[in-house]
Amino acid sequence: MHVLDIPPRLLAFLLLLLFLELPLMGLDIYTLGIFVTANVFAIFAVSWDLLVGRTGLISLGHALFFGVGAYASALLFKYFSLPLWFTIPMALLAGFSVALLVGFPCLKVKGPYLALVTMAFPIILSAVIYYFAPVTGGEQGVINLPTFFPFPNYYLRKLAEYYFTLILLAASSMVVYKIANSKTGIVFVSILDNELASKASGINVTKYKLLAFAISGLFGSLAGAVYAHLLTIANPPTLLLTISFLPVILTILGGLGTIYGPIVGAYIYYILNSYVFKNVIRIPPLWQIHIVTSFLPEINSPIYTDYLMLLVFTAVVVLLAIKWPRGTARLVVDKLKDLEEAREIEKRARKRRLNIRRSVDKLQAVFKGSKKKPEPAPKG
Amino acid sequence: MHLLEVENLTKRFGGLSAIKDVSLHVDEGEIVGIIGPNGAGKTTLFNLLTGFLKPDSGAIKFKNENITGLEPYKIVNKGMARTFQLVKPFRHLPTIANILVPLASPRGNKKIEWLKTRERKAMEMLEDVGLSEMMLEPAENLSHGDLKRLEIARALATDPDLLLLDEPFGGLSPIETDYLTKSILRMHLDGHTLVIVEHKLHALMKLVKRVIVLHYGEKIAEGEPEEIGKNKRVIEVYLGKAM
Repeated sequence: MHVLDIPPRLLAFLLLLLFLELPLMGLDIYTLGIFVTANVFAIFAVSWDLLVGRTGLISLGHALFFGVGAYASALLFKYFSLPLWFTIPMALLAGFSVALLVGFPCLKVKGPYLALVTMAFPIILSAVIYYFAPVTGGEQGVINLPTFFPFPNYYLRKLAEYYFTLILLAASSMVVYKIANSKTGIVFVSILDNELASKASGINVTKYKLLAFAISGLFGSLAGAVYAHLLTIANPPTLLLTISFLPVILTILGGLGTIYGPIVGAYIYYILNSYVFKNVIRIPPLWQIHIVTSFLPEINSPIYTDYLMLLVFTAVVVLLAIKWPRGTARLVVDKLKDLEEAREIEKRARKRRLNIRRSVDKLQAVFKGSKKKPEPAPKG
Repeated sequence: MHLLEVENLTKRFGGLSAIKDVSLHVDEGEIVGIIGPNGAGKTTLFNLLTGFLKPDSGAIKFKNENITGLEPYKIVNKGMARTFQLVKPFRHLPTIANILVPLASPRGNKKIEWLKTRERKAMEMLEDVGLSEMMLEPAENLSHGDLKRLEIARALATDPDLLLLDEPFGGLSPIETDYLTKSILRMHLDGHTLVIVEHKLHALMKLVKRVIVLHYGEKIAEGEPEEIGKNKRVIEVYLGKAM
């Protein structure tokens, strides 16, 4: 029995089927590429959601795990030329142990202070990478990593990557979801809800917090390692603050603490960000020529269009966060539940109406019957 | 051998001594009451016993083992659980999850019988306190009386040998008080040793065999309820000195 809210299992299965089908319906390479990125960052966001949404340990430095995953796999390849199928599991191990290591100082602080502390870690790691540039490749990073599917046909390669990341996402989110709804997961949420009460219930809060960090670090580094091999490069931008904030945006977009929300959030984000807006949001040509270009001739440059897109996108995110703070994925599940409840209520109401009608009929029958009867003769 | 033995326990907050040189003991199978006016240090004593506060000096022995300054969760897993005066449920979680969490602790885990799921056990425990209907309701929707009972059920789920109840009757209606009195007696029959801090002396005196009176952090009296009722010092503390 699941104690926490669950998405209909069938729905998840059907969605997975749909996404397995999608390429057969003729997706182009560009869209496939977007979906591959969405899948990878969905894994990343799911790992963040387990830590923050379920345990309440706010991490704004999740790029650390992303970077550790990417660099661990890349350096193992660079120095030992190990195959990809070995380096990625090793990267997971690295992510797991780094998360444990980082978890210790993080447990000393709470709330906004914890967020600040976690923010520092990717910066520290990037400093280390720059300092040991001869080993790590410094600014340039580690290049020419092996790809997953070295097919000559580019479309086939993307297709294979799409399926691979999709299955990886399905598997890892399933594992995280199972953890989140297991005995351990309930303890995680209890810590978020009331830490003191968890302690009074005999729960080793420190152990569970570290465990949350470690599991989250493991899946975060999985995303990082896979992403590095997709791009065939591991470089310092994997540790940027923007990478740290990406899971925050994706998760809040989808629904904090749901585990499946971040996946929905990732798809919404990447579809909006790189597909819809690229085609839909354009500066109207009329403006370009007559108004804007007269002040700022460089407004036509692609960078400016990107900024405009970003502006519109952030506005959409803010609006979504205000309108549906519980997240878009939860919105759907909530609506489904509401529908079910409404149907239940309707059923009950119909039953009641029927009962009332029946009893009214009975009463009427009795009433009519009594009318037909002659009045009893007065005594006396 | 006493189940719980406290020797010369002292706790200061700044210059103020909340607990001053208190020694007491609890034997197995007892129900002990701790009373005292507001600010007497009853709750502080509980916090010290269960590890939520660290004493400045003195020793706490539980089952002949020194547990002074241990982490709260370790003390719980040694078999001493407590409830809070101000209830601390997992508000946003379903009521049943409030029982599932202590059942997930090492000691609670052992309480689950063979071939029985954790959920099943939790449901039974909720039934025992009469909350099974609210099982899936978030705990924040429960009434105060229900929360008080949930608090006790949560402590019981860790299978304590010694259960410390911090004002279990606070804010309860007379009917609820009666119900709780009965369930406390049942807990006692089930083999739990109990220590109860309470303001409602009437309800308490019916339950306990031995009372300890605290006043400004000091133990001023100890004995059977009748003795305590006649004790001059206690009457002074509660009602003031005779003119």
